[in-house]
Amino acid sequence: MSLASTRSPRISRMSGWLGTLTSTDHKRMGLTLGVCSLFFFLLGGVFALLMRTQLAQSNMQFVSDNSYNELFTMHGSTMIYLFVTPMAIAMGLYLVPLQIGATRVSAPRLCLAGLWTWLCGGLVMQQGWFASGGAGRAGWSSYAPLSNGTNTPGVGQDLWVIGVLLAACGMFVMAACLVATIARRRAPGMSLLRMPVFTWTELVSVLMVVGAFPMLILVMILLYIDRHGGHIFTGFAGAIDYQDLFWFFGHPVVYVMFFPYLGAAAEAIAVSSHKRWFGYIAFVASMMMFAGLSMAVWSHHMYVTGGVTNQYFAFTSTALLVPAGIEYFDMVGTLIGGSIVLRTSMLFALAFFLQFLVGGLSGIFVASPVLDYQAYGTYIIVAHFHYTLFAGSIFGFFAGVYHWFPKISGALLRERLGKLQLLLMVVGTNLTFFPMFFLGNDGMPRRVSRYPTHPGWGTLNELETIGAGIIALGVLTFLVNVFVSLRRPVPAGDDPWLGHTLEWATTSPPPPLNFEAALPPIRSYAPLLDLREAEIDRARERAEVDAG
Amino acid sequence: MRGGAIPLLVWGTILFVLAVGNWVWNDRAVGSGAASAAVVIVYAFGVGLWLARREAIRRGPPGPASEPETVPQASLSAMVVGLSVGCALFGLVWAKFLLDFGIALFIVSVGRLALEVRAERASRRAAPREERPS
Repeated sequence: MSLASTRSPRISRMSGWLGTLTSTDHKRMGLTLGVCSLFFFLLGGVFALLMRTQLAQSNMQFVSDNSYNELFTMHGSTMIYLFVTPMAIAMGLYLVPLQIGATRVSAPRLCLAGLWTWLCGGLVMQQGWFASGGAGRAGWSSYAPLSNGTNTPGVGQDLWVIGVLLAACGMFVMAACLVATIARRRAPGMSLLRMPVFTWTELVSVLMVVGAFPMLILVMILLYIDRHGGHIFTGFAGAIDYQDLFWFFGHPVVYVMFFPYLGAAAEAIAVSSHKRWFGYIAFVASMMMFAGLSMAVWSHHMYVTGGVTNQYFAFTSTALLVPAGIEYFDMVGTLIGGSIVLRTSMLFALAFFLQFLVGGLSGIFVASPVLDYQAYGTYIIVAHFHYTLFAGSIFGFFAGVYHWFPKISGALLRERLGKLQLLLMVVGTNLTFFPMFFLGNDGMPRRVSRYPTHPGWGTLNELETIGAGIIALGVLTFLVNVFVSLRRPVPAGDDPWLGHTLEWATTSPPPPLNFEAALPPIRSYAPLLDLREAEIDRARERAEVDAG
Repeated sequence: MRGGAIPLLVWGTILFVLAVGNWVWNDRAVGSGAASAAVVIVYAFGVGLWLARREAIRRGPPGPASEPETVPQASLSAMVVGLSVGCALFGLVWAKFLLDFGIALFIVSVGRLALEVRAERASRRAAPREERPS
């Protein structure tokens, strides 16, 4: 493939900071999106710490009731719209073109415009803190009629709506660029069933973004009109309509926030086990099944409304067990017989699967309408979705970071600090979220800023607050690790882990057009492993000839 | 299988299985007419594509590309497009002048983007003459 450099004076060429911010290189866009997402993660984490401080004891007055509503709304919104989902796209933007042997992303300018639209969305949403009346306070889902102009007046909620709208538009555009990249820019020989596991998880995720996010864009436009006298979501039917529309986006996005991190954990496990990912075809099929079913389970969030067919959604929700089971089976199959190295990325990947299991198993319970009627609105739900969304994304994210940081920066992260971070995060996660099952079972409602003095509740809430602090220490350890590793880099080399996929065939960090040397032949989803195995076979044959 | 019929036939099958499963569970909760119509429409499109025998755009793994391609390095106008959309919608809530400013900025940046894309195409057309290996 010959490459024509762009020499026209009409084409922008920037350098320095402006060069980074206006770059259409997928790696720079991925890094910009990732760094901004990480900033929002820290911000959302601060909101969580403030909430946990308020809940440390019964009837605390650390923040007002209204501020607490703003905090839980902005915590959820920041984490979902501004961290977990965009970070999944950021990882795809950086890694997918490298994994499929492409020189660039498709429609890079459109992608850059999407990145800035998303960033504007984040800033507009956070601008609500400076509005009179405060930031959005109707929850991350902002159900109508709670979120209409009468029940939640003020500019803050409007800014929330516009912020979500912009963020969703930006993510939709970036996801569409990734779909086009995978469809049109794969290297010669890279058929769909030779794409790496991570690329498959990204493909399914971005397809779901393209399929589901227009619904969020639509619902935010309708909500904005409704808030300004449009009377769209009125009465019982209006409330049900809003929830139907919102959750048609809201449930697929749960898997968008899970799959890429699953892919990252799968890559880390396969590489650290020195084996190719077990059951590749079944894994791909399970991803497709997951994606299909994710579009058919949205109303399990609405069992108690009486406005949906509970049996149908219980059936589809329970059916999610099948693809999830296949993925766990593949993970165990990859580990069995592998030459396992317990480096930090591998430990995070194992923690990801174990922690997510708690969320998945509790999901079986709440998929049943009978049990959900009891659990709805209690801390059981908070525990369930934090084990799925926090444990099911953050641990996979860190597995990916420890796995690919050497490729991105050319330097290794410190293993000791990484293991300390893992320990802090496992302890913190379980200390924060596991007691919530007991509190929920005891009837403690979610989204309340104060709770009555009740035997056991104070102790469990105190433990949760301590756990949240330990998670914060874990994140701080990670930031120290990144700082130390960049300040005093230990050179990683091009392929420190003996990776399986094409990104390890180029330099660390990769050059502007990704690959300076010719790509290796692509005959499977692990082309570098193929090369190594062929080399071992040849060496063995030579040894046999010499011995014979 | 030709012309992208597989996804439609798979989709129709999933719809059918889910509708039947749900009907077995509780026949009153399923709109049988709507479910059947959906399955029939999706299948009809799938079968239509199958019968049209349209060749897939590309079969098998991709081959080597022969055309030169341009690789844009930076685009200030693309960045400004994103910022202008944000500015306009922010103005919808905050101050009307930001809405007007955002729309104006959007028009200017899209115009500039069009010039960039045009220049890129010209660069691509010129590339084979300049860089074709001898």
